[in-house]
Amino acid sequence: MSSDIAISIKNLTKTYRLFDHPGDRIKQALTFGRMKFHREFTALKDLSFEVRKGETVGIIGRNGSGKSTLLQLICGILKPTSGSVTVNGRISALLELGSGFNPEFTGRENIYFQGAIMGFSKAEMDAKVGDIIAFADIGEFIDQPVRTYSSGMFVRLAFAVAIHSDPDILLVDEALAVGDLAFQGRCLKKISEIRHNGGSVLLVTHAMEQVAHFCDRAVLLEKGRLTLEGNSADTLNFYLGSLNPQAEVDRARSSLEQYSFYNPKETRWGDGAAVIVDCKIIQDERVDPVSLLPGIFTEIRLHVIFYGNVHSPIYGLTLKSRDGAIIFTTNSQELLLANEPPKKQGDEVFVSFSFRPFLDSGEYFVSVGIVSSIGGRVVPHDRRYDVIKLNIAPHSAGAEPVANPAFRILSSL
Amino acid sequence: MILNPLRILAELLQRRMLLAQLVKRDVLLRYRGAMFGVAWIFLSPLLMLAIFAFVFGQIFQARWPQTDSGIPFWMLLYSGLIAFNLFAETVSRSPTAVRSYPSYVKKIIFPVEILPVVPLGASLVHVGFNLLILVIVLLVMKSLHVSILLYPVLLLPLLFFSLGLAWFFAAWGVFIKDMTQIVPVFVQMLLFLSPVFYPVSALPQWLQPVYMYNPIGAVIEACRAAVLGIGIPWLPWVFAFVLSIAVFVLGQAFFRHSREEFADVL
Repeated sequence: MSSDIAISIKNLTKTYRLFDHPGDRIKQALTFGRMKFHREFTALKDLSFEVRKGETVGIIGRNGSGKSTLLQLICGILKPTSGSVTVNGRISALLELGSGFNPEFTGRENIYFQGAIMGFSKAEMDAKVGDIIAFADIGEFIDQPVRTYSSGMFVRLAFAVAIHSDPDILLVDEALAVGDLAFQGRCLKKISEIRHNGGSVLLVTHAMEQVAHFCDRAVLLEKGRLTLEGNSADTLNFYLGSLNPQAEVDRARSSLEQYSFYNPKETRWGDGAAVIVDCKIIQDERVDPVSLLPGIFTEIRLHVIFYGNVHSPIYGLTLKSRDGAIIFTTNSQELLLANEPPKKQGDEVFVSFSFRPFLDSGEYFVSVGIVSSIGGRVVPHDRRYDVIKLNIAPHSAGAEPVANPAFRILSSL
Repeated sequence: MILNPLRILAELLQRRMLLAQLVKRDVLLRYRGAMFGVAWIFLSPLLMLAIFAFVFGQIFQARWPQTDSGIPFWMLLYSGLIAFNLFAETVSRSPTAVRSYPSYVKKIIFPVEILPVVPLGASLVHVGFNLLILVIVLLVMKSLHVSILLYPVLLLPLLFFSLGLAWFFAAWGVFIKDMTQIVPVFVQMLLFLSPVFYPVSALPQWLQPVYMYNPIGAVIEACRAAVLGIGIPWLPWVFAFVLSIAVFVLGQAFFRHSREEFADVL
């Protein structure tokens, strides 16, 4: 295996033997496998792919497609039925939150215990424990039994321990979905640190935003087979398209593709209850200029058509630098401090964001989206990541670039 | 497959941090919440010994056959029982050693092979306290012999033997739940079949070799000889040691072989 490969998977197959009755297993063992008392279930079939060092790979797929089995095989918890998994380096895995934690012992005791499981000495853990506690941010509860923790605290502690074990390979199964934004931010910062140090990250998640944001590549599993492997945008688009063919039809109605600012590498998903069909960029009465002048009021006007009833729509916009760092992100709820009125099927809305791009010259990406919030859960209707490529012209002398583009909403009709 | 006992030991030693923590948890959790807490670790053998003294000293007025060492029957019984309990505690608990920790097997990267070692560690802690009591009582009786220093060393074959069996039963326990019922019953039966309540010399001639050369019998006899300050039967002891190492290696190999299926079953 070449030295820049972290995980190499070759023709991996995992078959479970299902026994209807525990005695059947003994019977089969007594006949030395000559008689069969079991049914077989193939969870993974002939899977091959590689993860390089420093890479973040997302694993996506429906429930039951074999994602978790794959992680367990990479960890060495399960043994392949055939094929091979070769891992180069030390693994830290978060497969199920809180497993391996003893509820009767305190957070601090559990940190040391987890350290011992991962093979750290007491002295090594003494050096880490401060960072872990700071990262988990659970205050005085650290010296309370873990059973008194809220689920959020539990998750933060588990994640803090896993992430501070300096892994060469970090495996995360659905763990990032919990925790508040500040905590997620800390996790993602730490993950990018791991990557910069040449570590690899494998993310199994249903949160497509995370795959779009953080993964260089994505692997799509379907019924235990690898259907697609490629850059995350392509894989996501394929997957989301396959999930919701109806939305695909509506997407065809979008007319953004004709513009020079359109980025064909956009990542798009949503349930199609509302669709962003058009978008205009206006600066100083120039519509869709080739490049924007820095610091001058600019309007991004979205045309949204509703194909279903949407109770409380939220329109969002994110500005990113060319290397993917978020410069500014905002939405209608935040800017108007109020919920938008409900929309029903057939409604059409124009939403204008205005801002002053006090930005350095160069390329920027804008993501736009329409979602709604149902009981605190965000339901994406149409999210178009990196759909607009903005060109900021070199600024004239004297104009200093600043980071805050001073967003506000002009109108929403 | 590792068949070199020294390498198996080295691998266990590498995990001593984790083992120490697990044993600590195991021992502490047993007494957590009790009013006298960890004091029970000392109180319960003391209570046991008092009952032995009452029943065998006062009621039965039992005498240890073929000795006139001045050490009462119940103390000689106790000195053998300490060794037997090391075996009994380790092996009785082994069928659940892995079975009761499915999350360690399925959800985290964990060296599962050390789980059956934990009951052994816990019972060694108990042996330590028991030996302390033994020494104190012998001291009070003015019957302490220097050879008692050999006691811990003489236990060695039983350590390997118990751990080897524990690995077997722990693996079977994962697949067959009935093991958790069967094994403790057999261990209970062995208590009476082992030379705990009587010396091997009290047995019929033809049975004696069976008792002398198996790891449990050999170790109990040797330990009791150390307490009595008489000649230790080294030949059976060495033979038992070799046998124990074999069980240790095979048990480990069997456990490793079957652990690949643990995650599928639990």
